Amino acid sequence: MAKPIKTVSTVVSRVEDLGNETKRFTLTDQDGWELPPFKPGAHLDVHLQPGLVRTYSLCNEPEDNTRYVIAVKRERDGRGGSNFLHDRVRVGDSFGVSLPRGGIALNPDEMNVFVAGGIGVTPFISAIRHLERRRRTNYRLHWTSRGWPVLSDMISPAIEAGRVRLYDTAMQPKPAIAELVQEFAGSGFAACCGPEPMLRDFEGAVEGWPDERKHIEMFTPPKRVAQSDVPPYELVLRESKKVATVVPEVGLLGTLEALGIDVAVSCGGGICGACRTRWIEGPPIHRDRVLSPAERQSELIVCVGDCAGPKLVLDL
Amino acid sequence: MDGIVSEKTQIAASWRGVVRFLHKTPRAFLPMREFPVLQLIAGRGIEGDRYLIGHETGFYSHKPEEGRQITLFEMETLEALRRDHGIELLPEEHRRNVTVEGVPLNHLVGRRFRLGEAIVEATRLSTPCRHIEEILGKAVFDPLINRSGLNCKIIAGGTLRVGDAVRPL
Ligand SMILES: Cc1cc2nc3c(=O)[nH]c(=O)nc-3n(C[C@H](O)[C@H](O)[C@H](O)COP(=O)(O)OP(=O)(O)OC[C@H]3O[C@@H](n4cnc5c(N)ncnc54)[C@H](O)[C@@H]3O)c2cc1C
Ligand code: FES
Repeated sequence: MAKPIKTVSTVVSRVEDLGNETKRFTLTDQDGWELPPFKPGAHLDVHLQPGLVRTYSLCNEPEDNTRYVIAVKRERDGRGGSNFLHDRVRVGDSFGVSLPRGGIALNPDEMNVFVAGGIGVTPFISAIRHLERRRRTNYRLHWTSRGWPVLSDMISPAIEAGRVRLYDTAMQPKPAIAELVQEFAGSGFAACCGPEPMLRDFEGAVEGWPDERKHIEMFTPPKRVAQSDVPPYELVLRESKKVATVVPEVGLLGTLEALGIDVAVSCGGGICGACRTRWIEGPPIHRDRVLSPAERQSELIVCVGDCAGPKLVLDL
Repeated sequence: MDGIVSEKTQIAASWRGVVRFLHKTPRAFLPMREFPVLQLIAGRGIEGDRYLIGHETGFYSHKPEEGRQITLFEMETLEALRRDHGIELLPEEHRRNVTVEGVPLNHLVGRRFRLGEAIVEATRLSTPCRHIEEILGKAVFDPLINRSGLNCKIIAGGTLRVGDAVRPL
């Protein structure tokens, strides 16, 4: 039976221990061929093992098109993805990765204000390298970290030029985010990636801003109620010709997994986009933070999705 | 009905075309790279391309396709996409190997023709692939239905260069 290749095959060409529980990995094609393109601040899924897929932001810039550089902070108590990368991955290992997705819609003319906490800086490193390469200086990065900020070597010219403000939260108080962004409320673009309290402060600070001028990048899904409250519905998988009933205790993703369907799942919480699937009949219930209204007309984030009617048909 | 058949036969016999661009890529999803010359190997494919039989790292890894040793695309389709849909699709983006001009690809299924010094046989029309939209971020799937190029088998191999003639046999 023909088996479609769903990932780009890459080889780990460099592993650097940057300290502060962070490692940087460089992935390349086995012959150094160009890799599929990406936007500044995009991310991709690394298929570490069957059933172990994790999403990482690319730190390098689109013009640097023969490598994907990711930086991974160890989450000792997580589900094991970052521990696997830290403990098991060596130069020469090969991994499938998804096509890059997402990215930050930078404003070419106005000020772009980035607010990052710790490892949340990765998408902005890509954006800053992209802007610096084009000699654009219309951005500021406010970056909090505990102790020495790892990855600063990737944006040293920007730091030296004063376009990056570092806050060592071990020594100084956290900055007031509302004050950092308010100057640009009328025209600029603002984006934030960091721990949950930082995202909450940022969300409050840009509440009145139009959607196209703000961006929140989440690495960890928001906490959800454990179980959905929709009544059971029939699930039909058109490609694999399977049918099942989705009950709230198992959920849509659990049902797909029980049927042995190969859907990439990374965050499991509707923020990374790895499990994006085309739907044919519904209407589905969307609970993700990934798809645009137009994309929802034909796609569903199945890890948090459901069906509003008696039958959901997916292109799986 | 007879009129249509004879018109088709006429089109299939009277055209003269030219190779405008050549591209290949070694693995699934990787960008196509432009080359001035490709080496065509009879019965197998293009040297260094993802669909070369015996190399097997194309989109369908375990399905070398006898009938897809080389793929062609019409320059005229790129112009139509720009004119009718406002989509700028570049020759390296349609993911077929040979961009030709003046060749009625949709009329050639089942026929043999000359491609530079090689001879190829058209097996079937290519179908657009959803992943092209994902790779490019351009909504080209629908406009490419029925004009997504032609899959061919290589009957006689040889060197293929940009500027080479494409002719009926
Ligand atoms: C778009 C995107 C970009 C990302 N970019 C990066 C990056 O550049 N660098 C990077 O290091 N990471 C990044 N991540 C996070 C990354 O995908 C992994 O989540 C991370 O490496 C940890 O994986 P893990 O399996 O070790 O832990 P995970 O299990 O994924 O744990 C992550 C966090 O969630 C908590 N958690 C886990 N399960 C639950 C649960 N059921 N309920 C509540 N909390 C839970 C953990 O305690 C931990 O704090 C990104 C994530 C997304 C969605
Ligand atoms: S797995 Fe991340 S959005 Fe579904």
